[in-house]
Amino acid sequence: MRMRARFDGPASHFDDPTGIPMKSVFFAALLALAGLLSPAMAQSDGDPLQQVLNENRELIVDASRRTVQGALDALLASELPEVPAFLQLWQAREIYVRDSDGLFVTVEDEDADPLTLIDLTTGEALGTATSREVTHLRPNRGVQNVIGASLVLFQLNAEDPAVRAGALAAIARTPDESHLPLIRERIEVEDDPDLRDQLEALLVRLTVAFAEDDETRVAAIESLAGSISVEARGILNPLLATTRAVAMELPEDRNIARVLTPGSDELPTDEAYGLLVSENLAPPRVTRAGIRDALIANIDDGFVAGVPVHTLDSDEARLAAYMTLAEAGTVPPPVTDEQAQVILNSHVFFETYREPSGAVTSAAVQTLDGINRTVGVYETVDLTLDGLSLASIYFLAAIGLAITFGVMGVINMAHGEFIMMGAYTGYVVQTLVPDYTLSIAIALPLAFAITFGAGVAMERSVIRFLYKRPLETLLATFGISIALQQIVRQVFGAQARPFTAPDWLAGSLDFNDVVSISYIRVAIFGLGVIFFILLWLILNKTRLGLEVRAVTQNPAMAASMGINPDRINMLTFGLGSGIAGIAGVAIGLFAQVTPELGTNYIVQSFMTVVVGGVGNIFGTLAGAGMIGFFQKGVEWLNPSNTLAAQTYMILFVILFIQFRPKGIIALKGRAAGD
Amino acid sequence: MKKLLMSAALTAICATGAQAEIRVGVLHSLSGTMAISETTLRDVMLMLIEQQNANGGLLGEEIVPVVVDPASDWPLFAERARELLTVHEVDVIFGAWTSVSRKSVLPVIEELNGLMFYPVQYEGEESSRNVFYTGAAPNQQAIPAVDYFLEELGVETFALLGTDYVYPRTTNRILEQYLLDAGIPQENIFVNYTPFGHSDWSSIVSDVTALGEGGQQVGVISTINGDANVGFYSELAAQGVTADEIPVVAFSVGEEELAGLDTGPLVGHLAAWNYFQSADTPENEAFISSWHEFIGDENRPTNDPMEAHYIGFNMWVQAVEAAGTTDVDAVREAMYGLEVPNLTGGTAVMLPNHHLAKPVLIGEIEADGQFTIISQTDPVPGDAWTDFLPESAVLTSDWPGLECGMYNTETETCVQIQSNY
Repeated sequence: MRMRARFDGPASHFDDPTGIPMKSVFFAALLALAGLLSPAMAQSDGDPLQQVLNENRELIVDASRRTVQGALDALLASELPEVPAFLQLWQAREIYVRDSDGLFVTVEDEDADPLTLIDLTTGEALGTATSREVTHLRPNRGVQNVIGASLVLFQLNAEDPAVRAGALAAIARTPDESHLPLIRERIEVEDDPDLRDQLEALLVRLTVAFAEDDETRVAAIESLAGSISVEARGILNPLLATTRAVAMELPEDRNIARVLTPGSDELPTDEAYGLLVSENLAPPRVTRAGIRDALIANIDDGFVAGVPVHTLDSDEARLAAYMTLAEAGTVPPPVTDEQAQVILNSHVFFETYREPSGAVTSAAVQTLDGINRTVGVYETVDLTLDGLSLASIYFLAAIGLAITFGVMGVINMAHGEFIMMGAYTGYVVQTLVPDYTLSIAIALPLAFAITFGAGVAMERSVIRFLYKRPLETLLATFGISIALQQIVRQVFGAQARPFTAPDWLAGSLDFNDVVSISYIRVAIFGLGVIFFILLWLILNKTRLGLEVRAVTQNPAMAASMGINPDRINMLTFGLGSGIAGIAGVAIGLFAQVTPELGTNYIVQSFMTVVVGGVGNIFGTLAGAGMIGFFQKGVEWLNPSNTLAAQTYMILFVILFIQFRPKGIIALKGRAAGD
Repeated sequence: MKKLLMSAALTAICATGAQAEIRVGVLHSLSGTMAISETTLRDVMLMLIEQQNANGGLLGEEIVPVVVDPASDWPLFAERARELLTVHEVDVIFGAWTSVSRKSVLPVIEELNGLMFYPVQYEGEESSRNVFYTGAAPNQQAIPAVDYFLEELGVETFALLGTDYVYPRTTNRILEQYLLDAGIPQENIFVNYTPFGHSDWSSIVSDVTALGEGGQQVGVISTINGDANVGFYSELAAQGVTADEIPVVAFSVGEEELAGLDTGPLVGHLAAWNYFQSADTPENEAFISSWHEFIGDENRPTNDPMEAHYIGFNMWVQAVEAAGTTDVDAVREAMYGLEVPNLTGGTAVMLPNHHLAKPVLIGEIEADGQFTIISQTDPVPGDAWTDFLPESAVLTSDWPGLECGMYNTETETCVQIQSNY
């Protein structure tokens, strides 16, 4: 089915040749009548631009990438001075057609109602019309690009650098042999450094594709060596496109990529034979289905070749009956395996480049090999960065849990909901404070305060009664997590809430075309590092940290040394929850803020803490690193199913725990508790 | 529990509110994960019924809505459908959103010979005697969008990205075969499935941009569902990929979904539907203004499934008027060939396979969360069984002619009457 561009307005049947015929004939008649009476029609008759447009009305109004060139050629051939301006307006979707008389116009202000119509030639106002009295021409992107390509001639030497950049972009999209001399001329006079770079890149690309002599092309190909951009590979790869062919002898005049042996992995025997058949160099082999069809076709009164049909219940019987038919000459004789082998051996199979010049292809192979080696190295670097980034996200999500679960031993299923609360805090702050940077600066401490408070409240009201009963803790916190999710869903709705990063966090840090990482991930990585250091300092260098460690190792002893275990437990739990809140702000910036946000991270967080080793923030770091890298590794090996990566990761964690039940970094001695 | 009581109470109120004989069941989730999308459809139904009653009702009777809440719980859809048909004795049901909830209702509605209108775009491969599908089949949304990529944008390398569940998997299977048939080699088709709510898009987007190394135009066909779209489009923007370089066409992103997003990174990307709010027709203008008046909020968008209910309800009303009764079999007979105006300036026709003929629109996302319609096809007849998978290409559905929704044209037999596939 062909896509047809049709445009708004009830009268569009008028331009639509496949619309309901009766109706459109009637409409057309009516419009023609209206046109005869209308003074505007007379005006358009006199206007040469309108005349050309009118002749190509269908191609212009129902523009399609494949057919619009005809209209463009006609317009350019008219050599009217208004044509470039018209093409620019058309490309920018600023052309309208007045339904009453079919006049092509532009408008003063697109959003005005009614629209003020402007004549294309004179620039005079032609009165007003509502949006339903005109048809707005909205060429699609494909058509816009074709129009852009025709404008290149007019735009390449324009005064405005932005217009020239547009022309270069148009060439880049639809490169053509005719552009090569234009680029060569322009590059001599271009003074804008950015555009000069673009021109040089384009020159290489066009030279490789279209230059006349092989030496220039080879030189251009060799100039790409070391460039790892997708564009460079996009220039070279098409040169190396191959087709398979077969002949009695290797032809001298073809650019052979390689010779294939039938029966090898690249060319299984069946495929090779199929190639011979398709080239009419061998008779087709008879298949099981072919035998069956031939026998059915030759059933004669319940018998095939003298054999009753009901006895033909095995492959052997059917083959025997087929052979009888073949001997009688009714069906072609089957090709035996030996015969097939003989035919295969007497031919040579090979792949040829579509590119005829051997010098060009060998230069391209050489250059591309070098590029691919470099790209391979950078891809490893990129994968490492991705793994590092995922690890830092897991670390940030799990670090709060490393305290509440790892240090205190509380199985807090509501940890994910603290992350979610942090993200929603960010969203609420952003609705109140429009400045994105400022709102994040406010949201970070506020999220900490809110989730710290929520953590303390939860510890005081529920968890402290359940310290020695892990199963009840699990159930109680799970209940709290569901309740929190429902509350948020009631208050904010089930749909994702927008929480937008400031502009300086948008975009990505590009080392080159292969290695890049978005700034937001760099920021999360930074936040992860800061929190790691901060937490390590708190736990190891402050009095609070000392007391925390004392209380978790032996609460009774700590109490007798004058430490209030209740207070310490409360503060520790609050600290862990507060950090989850900050992680929530960070995660909310790159993920989506929904009530289920926390659930997506709770399993990973527990895995991170368990794999890393309970009771140690170094362990959490190691655990996050291992899980992050492992997941990215599996994703790399199996790019088509991200879900599979998560499944393999869980399997891996289960296996890992079998061999190191205490995690990567196990606490030793008394600190290990039991 | 509370929800159940509340919905039961609501039904009781609705059911006893009037002594009319014509009852319309509304089976949309009002709580749980699907509530966000389905509540809107409940509201549309209430609005359409209110309008019809204001115009004198139907067959001289008042139409009474019976609203139940299946709570985004798939098995509960079957229970609620049974309740609607046996306890409330409704004449017709408008409802369901996800494919799994529709599948759950099918056995009940076929057993009790009910009538349901299903308003959402879906994966096809189904035609029940008792269901009219007013949403798009794959050939009314996915295939025309792929054609647009092939014909108009000249895309030669495709990335099919989807969330991992039945609709994307079936649709992508159809599309993959369609692309192979169109001469796109297997190595130029990249398929990826991600979990619901996926957020770590960086490596997938890198994979997609790397597809450009073959020197061909790359395009993304997205069946990514719901919230995961936020992360996907932001990552595209973060890696500096514009709609010009790699266009994305989405089948699950509409006005309602865009309302909750920062649309900045999405501008210029595409969506394919049978309806956009920006369609400039008098019917649509009237529909939007009555919707805003009914809901009391000028900013609530209209979307494709709402139009599907609009068409479905108007068709049902016409069929009942033509049949002179609400009897299911009589109404079903009267439905075939009915034409009602759609909101995009044409008419929708009910086909013998219980699907509609509707135009396919392709829109570019604008910064204000609306779509610029850049292409509108002539009405495309909905195909219950896709022609692009060998096992279903031989199947056809023709209820008035063959009395069968799964008819094998090769063996000329009806595979099955009931929809337990």
